[in-house]
Amino acid sequence: MAGDKVEVRISRDLYEKAREFIEETGGFKSVDELVEFLLQEVLSGEEEAGLTQEDEEKVKERLRSLGYL
Amino acid sequence: MPRRLFFLGLDSLPPRVLYEGLDGGAFQYLRGLVREGARWVMRTCHPPITVPAWMVMFTGKTPGELGVYGFRHRRPGEFGYYIVNSGYIKAPTIWDEASRRGLRVGVYGVPPTYPPRPLHGFMVTDFTTPGPEKPYTFPPWLRRELEALTGPTIFDIVYRSEDKDRVARDLLRMLDNHLRQVEYLATRKKWDAFFYVEISVDRAHHAFWRYFDPEHPRYEEHPRYSRVIPEVYRRIDEWLERLHPRLPKDTVLVVASDHGIKAMRGAFTINQWLAEQGYLKLRVDPSSLKPGTDLGEDMVDWQGTIAWAWGGYYSRVFVNLKGREKHGVVEPRYYEETLEMLRRDLESIRGPRGEEWANKAYRPSELYPEVNGDPPDLMLYLDDLNWRPAGTLGWPANYLEENDRGPDDAVHDWHGVYAVYDPEGTLERGERGVMPIEYIKAHLEQLIFSKEEG
Repeated sequence: MAGDKVEVRISRDLYEKAREFIEETGGFKSVDELVEFLLQEVLSGEEEAGLTQEDEEKVKERLRSLGYL
Repeated sequence: MPRRLFFLGLDSLPPRVLYEGLDGGAFQYLRGLVREGARWVMRTCHPPITVPAWMVMFTGKTPGELGVYGFRHRRPGEFGYYIVNSGYIKAPTIWDEASRRGLRVGVYGVPPTYPPRPLHGFMVTDFTTPGPEKPYTFPPWLRRELEALTGPTIFDIVYRSEDKDRVARDLLRMLDNHLRQVEYLATRKKWDAFFYVEISVDRAHHAFWRYFDPEHPRYEEHPRYSRVIPEVYRRIDEWLERLHPRLPKDTVLVVASDHGIKAMRGAFTINQWLAEQGYLKLRVDPSSLKPGTDLGEDMVDWQGTIAWAWGGYYSRVFVNLKGREKHGVVEPRYYEETLEMLRRDLESIRGPRGEEWANKAYRPSELYPEVNGDPPDLMLYLDDLNWRPAGTLGWPANYLEENDRGPDDAVHDWHGVYAVYDPEGTLERGERGVMPIEYIKAHLEQLIFSKEEG
């Protein structure tokens, strides 16, 4: 089910580093959130694919309203 | 050790503002640095537009070499267009070179850097980012860090609106959002070179220039709107005054723009004109169209069409060439002749009172050492950029007082600024002449890498 959570085991060293990282940067509330975010970024593959058709349409609309087109 | 460099890019800032005092007294700190430093009038590229201009500056390549002639391009034989993004910039940027040498770089807001690419440092992309839900930073988690600080990153505003009070509010909100993020990155992260481009300046110019520049033909003093541009300048100036002492002491500070700005005299309906001259044959009666209707592929009678055009800050003109276009009719053996005829006619367009205009129509090969990508057949500037070509149809006359895409007060200009403040005084101070935009990368590299090599 969407929204269900499962446990993932990582090494304690890495966990401690991750805790320090989130304290320093303030972008994440917990190690769980950081792990979920990073996995999502890696697995979505969006950066590799460049812009989707929908993204390109959004950008075209904005450039049109800005008068560039 | 290399020299540290902080680059502040103020999109569309003209020399009149930074060097000649048309700043409403707002750039107190920045003008002090400029007086103490070396300054050039920056001569921008063809076309004088944000994309490709910043990338010309940061790669040292002309638009022809980059194959980037604006935001949009047309593949031969197609009528529609595609938009360029960071993936189309194939030449290495100054931050790629610096990364390669092991220097840490920061990049913020440089168009077009979306989608972000890995580098030795960090990157926040620019106003061509589709939205704040997209992966717009490198490394990816930087986005969360910035959002914890300021809330969602604001990439742009809609400035072509009659609701100028809202435009002013949105503009200042966006500027503050960027200034806070850059201050955070500049003071909390490690970097040797930081490149920051602020787009709010350009948006302020386009939306409020006629309330600011007394030389604008429709200049109007307004109790609120006349203060917006100086307010944008003042916020940047005070921010820089606070930030500068917190940067490493030997940091070289650079201020530059990608093009200048000047009053828009009006817009000229280029496709309506092409239709009147017999170059473009329409299937529809243009007088029956709503003003501002885009030229659609199905509106054109291709069998009777020699050329059509795009509007924008300049016009791109395409010849309906046989063998290249879907319904091409111009025989390749008449291509040269057709181009020359078009050029002559386009350059003879006169103003609304029959006055002569300084029009220029160039073939891309006349402007660049190499012509890559998807160039137009002709690049047209009307009256030295004073008049904006409008590609839309349905207008009762060819001369429009306003822009066809909504309220806008300004057009781009050839000259911007490039000023360098070196606290160690290694540069000769004062006015240094004209700096072509494509030479800036080499100049910046000398500044950054000289100590490393020495």
